[in-house]
Amino acid sequence: MTSTAIPIDPQTGVNLPGERVLIYHLRDVEKTREAEGTAFRLRVPSLQIALGEKIALIGESGCGKSTLLDMLSMTLRPSGIGSFRFRPARGAEPVDISDLWRKKQLNQLGDLRRLRIGYVMQTGGLLPYLTVRENINLSRRLLDMQDDSLVDELAGDLGIRRHLDKLPYMLSVGERQRVAIGRALAHRPSIVIADEPTASLDPIAAERIMSLFIELVDELHITVILASHAWRHINRLGLRHLEHHTHRESDGSMTETVVSG
Amino acid sequence: MPHRVKDILWLAGRDYRNEWQMSAFFIVSLAAVLGPMMILYGLKFGIVGSMLTNLIEDPRNREVRPIGSGRYDSAWVEQLRNREEIDFIVPRTRAIAATIDLKSETASRIISVEMIPTGQADPLLKTQTIPQSLQQIVLSNKAAQKLNVKPGDEISGSLSRRFKGRSERVHISLQVIDIAKPASFTRDGAFTDLLLVEAAEDFRDGRAVSALGWSGTAEGNDKRTYPSFRLYTSSIYDVAPISEALGKLGIEVSTRVADIDIVRTMDRNLSVVFWLIAIIGLFGFTLSLGASLWANVDRKRKELSVLRLVGFRTGEIVWFPVLQSVFTAIFGWLTASMIYLGVSFTINRLFASQMDSSDSICHLLPNHFLIALILTLGAATIAAILAGYRAARIEPSEGLRDI
Ligand SMILES: Nc1ncnc2c1ncn2[C@@H]1O[C@H](COP(=O)(O)OP(=O)(O)OP(=O)(O)O)[C@@H](O)[C@H]1O
Ligand SMILES: [Mg+2]
Repeated sequence: MTSTAIPIDPQTGVNLPGERVLIYHLRDVEKTREAEGTAFRLRVPSLQIALGEKIALIGESGCGKSTLLDMLSMTLRPSGIGSFRFRPARGAEPVDISDLWRKKQLNQLGDLRRLRIGYVMQTGGLLPYLTVRENINLSRRLLDMQDDSLVDELAGDLGIRRHLDKLPYMLSVGERQRVAIGRALAHRPSIVIADEPTASLDPIAAERIMSLFIELVDELHITVILASHAWRHINRLGLRHLEHHTHRESDGSMTETVVSG
Repeated sequence: MPHRVKDILWLAGRDYRNEWQMSAFFIVSLAAVLGPMMILYGLKFGIVGSMLTNLIEDPRNREVRPIGSGRYDSAWVEQLRNREEIDFIVPRTRAIAATIDLKSETASRIISVEMIPTGQADPLLKTQTIPQSLQQIVLSNKAAQKLNVKPGDEISGSLSRRFKGRSERVHISLQVIDIAKPASFTRDGAFTDLLLVEAAEDFRDGRAVSALGWSGTAEGNDKRTYPSFRLYTSSIYDVAPISEALGKLGIEVSTRVADIDIVRTMDRNLSVVFWLIAIIGLFGFTLSLGASLWANVDRKRKELSVLRLVGFRTGEIVWFPVLQSVFTAIFGWLTASMIYLGVSFTINRLFASQMDSSDSICHLLPNHFLIALILTLGAATIAAILAGYRAARIEPSEGLRDI
């Protein structure tokens, strides 16, 4: 994996004019998972993601993509944190995520998620008892956002306008995935995190939905982090690849992935 | 913050409606426990209630009747009359001397009736006019029928005695001022002023009664004593203490205390039985609702974790199962109330002929419905506690992927 070489200013916190704002700035963050005598460790010596960047995390199964995304989406507590700062907007103060985890302020993390982050899950994650429109609108509703035309525009762009008043079970898997993308974007989050959003689709549909997704994200100026193992068509979307190396002990007792970028 | 509880209310409601078959199943199974319980309580309350009402309303249950005869003077009677527990007391003359022959113009037969001394506030004449003078009487229903008279009619009374070896008869014209309720006195009788009863006794004893112009030996009976009295206590609960007090004075009495006790004991025992059934029923319902809510949380793990993922707080997620449980409680209670209303209507119709017009055999007060609702809500909330606790522990990351 190679990273598209964009020079990154190691100084964060300061907001000089024209300077890139780092939405994520991680140093020495790691997560160790142990189960049944085998251990997996994900190490992030340094990771900087700028506002507006489009990041792809591509790698084989089990290398730790989901683990990293869960930490970035503040749902998984890292086992060791050097520093973890999150700055959701150009004008915003950076939030010290390591501090929130240490103080167990889970509700504050929840508030950050509600306000700043959108998710697209591998499968659906839609609420079966809400209509498509209500599902897309859920993230907005929780923020008391006034109705603007965004929900309808998104539905139009995603080609699901005629399904708006149906319940999710009446939709095909690909259509449900498009609804999920709609919900992740509807409240104009700072960042969208998508863990294999097209894994359950056939290659052609996957490619179409992926391009649509990236187009929409571009249009709305939303930062995106995408995990996938289908890297062939990802390459054509012009995303920055996060570099990582996986090292296995010969007896299989320990797997370690180091991510940096 | 409160507006997000509103969001949870909306989501829980939508889920509840979406899974309406499941919800209906819970509602019906609650109603199946609660409805019969309400009917059972309604029956207990209706039956025991109307028995108690009968007890309270029937003045005979407040009567304390001396057995045998004594010697009571008016001062003693007066002193009893002042006691708060005593509603009504009037002395009686010798029973054998307290009869009178009555004849009306509208019937051929002469009948002999018992005279019952009465006075203001006689419980047996609750709604009747009370005789105010020697010549006013209230006939028992049976006597009035035999004499074929109505209130306002004049009838003639006569008394006889053997005096100085001769048979004597005196006549007195009487006015029927009212007719007593059939239940007040079931034989031939006449409620009269005490003076008339005393006059009859005096006459039979050979004494003169100047007020009525009846001759005899000298009147002047200042130290008149009475062998008995009519006594009614203020409430059925005063019967026992008053009989005890009289017992201490050596006056043996008969009362209906035993009947009253039977009904009160029955009320208590039926209450115990009812609450046993109710507790078992509610406990079973709570357990089964709790278990299914718990299982529901597992079934909806993914959906609940999605809610966590989109930023609902732990304290708010708890409301999801709790609110759904509360929905079940409210709808189940409504259904049970409908069942109760339908069944009690039918039961009351079935028994209508056997009951007095005002009584119903199955009956609940609005309060009882409210208590049933509160109990059900309580049970439902308890049932949801474990499920809520479990829901609150769902991690947001669980929603990110399937197992
Ligand atoms: N809850 C857990 N407890 C213990 N080990 C875990 C747990 N979740 C994941 N792991 C381990 O962590 C490693 C990385 O898992 P992760 O889900 O991040 O992989 P991935 O790159 O997303 O794989 P895939 O492409 O198949 O989704 C795996 O080896 C897995 O065994
Ligand atoms: Mg994964």
